[in-house]
Amino acid sequence: MKVTVTPQEFHFVKFDAGTVEAVVSKLADEIGFPAGDPLTVDIDEKTPLGRVRIESLSPLALRIEGGALEDPTAPRTLSERLTADVLGRLLYRAHDRLSGGFDDAPDEADLDFLQNTAWDTACMGRLERLGYDVRLPRRLYIFRNRHGFTDVSDRVFARLWAADSLTWADIVAACAETAAAKQPA
Amino acid sequence: MKKLMTADELARDSRFKRVTMGDQFNDPRNRAQAPEASGSGSGSGGKQQRTRFLGSMKPEHPDTPDRARALMHGIFVGEIQALEGAGRTCWDFEVGKGTDEVPFEMKLDMARQCWDETRHCEISVKLSDWMGTEIGEFAESAFLFQAACNPDPILRLTGVNRGLEGLAIDVFNTMKEFGDITGDPVLEFCEDWMLADEVTHVKMGSDWLRRITADDPDRRERALEFQRVVDKLFSLGGGRGEEDDSAIRLARRFRELAGFTTEEIDEISDLAKEARKEMVERMAAAASSS
Repeated sequence: MKVTVTPQEFHFVKFDAGTVEAVVSKLADEIGFPAGDPLTVDIDEKTPLGRVRIESLSPLALRIEGGALEDPTAPRTLSERLTADVLGRLLYRAHDRLSGGFDDAPDEADLDFLQNTAWDTACMGRLERLGYDVRLPRRLYIFRNRHGFTDVSDRVFARLWAADSLTWADIVAACAETAAAKQPA
Repeated sequence: MKKLMTADELARDSRFKRVTMGDQFNDPRNRAQAPEASGSGSGSGGKQQRTRFLGSMKPEHPDTPDRARALMHGIFVGEIQALEGAGRTCWDFEVGKGTDEVPFEMKLDMARQCWDETRHCEISVKLSDWMGTEIGEFAESAFLFQAACNPDPILRLTGVNRGLEGLAIDVFNTMKEFGDITGDPVLEFCEDWMLADEVTHVKMGSDWLRRITADDPDRRERALEFQRVVDKLFSLGGGRGEEDDSAIRLARRFRELAGFTTEEIDEISDLAKEARKEMVERMAAAASSS
């Protein structure tokens, strides 16, 4: 993809736009986006918070709060691992939305925590299989937080993590399965 | 063996990365965050902004599981420093009645606290593992040990055991409630057990403060003033308090059990409000001067 990172020069943090571009370009190729399509990554360097979102699908644009890419052990410093973690997840989600299998999914802002977490799990599992260090235990904890600390939840997590292709219906089914297991007997 | 060691001399392996309070206070992003901190910014609503900025632990926030992981790592390094601090208090002061000496029984209490903190370190390591966190994943701030460097033993004990261990009561109670709400049985159970010990540690601080300064009101006032400084500094910019959006809730009932009077708890609550107001003013001043 033709990746553009804004801003090109950072003043509040010690980030390097070229490094972000390189990480994102490699990810986009590996995930399977067409080579010439444009992708913009807009980083808000003024905030240490970490919210991220897909701003638009066509052309693809990602909006990132700088804290999401920051090394938690070195304030204001870019973490290449987290850059791949955060942007890889968003790129997989965008790729899913463009695949046709997620046409009936709600808009990003309308996804609930269960749906978000289930979809993220499927994205991160694929990212791990591309060779990225995505920290499965962290993802499992987040999943359990939202879907329950149950055996059913763990089985659903494993299924989503291992899935190479899935549709919105798979996400909905996964959420229904864990929700049923959380109901009191 | 050296007495009165500094925080820079603490032994850590290569997994641990230290961050200073200077790094945090001098972060240039602070001045851009004044509207978020005060809740006066434009966008998705002032209260929501401030809640995000303060790091609320409410489950309805998307970042909360990761915040819990980061907080748990902070607890882990805090436990290491609490162990080091109580250990140094055993070693730094001789037995006696002078102002730089302590009763033997106080050393016994500190030795017992070392035992508790060691157990908390082990619990925290396993709990972090359960939460998917690696040792050293987040930076370590040495503020707890720095408070444990005061050369007056009663000021040290008051700052650490009533100030910082008091903060630990609030943190553990918040984490315990988070575990309860999310249905995490391991988190809730571990925090409950550690919370019980913290109440004991704070009570030790309260008891020794009253006992040793019974005939020395000036020293008692200096110790309480040092505690006020610690309490305000570690109100986390107002993140610890009794506001609806406070990340860490002041645990009144457990503080009462630990020997705090209602007036003392009210004072900590007021200090937290002051700390929040000052932080917003400091950030706004930095923003206007840039």
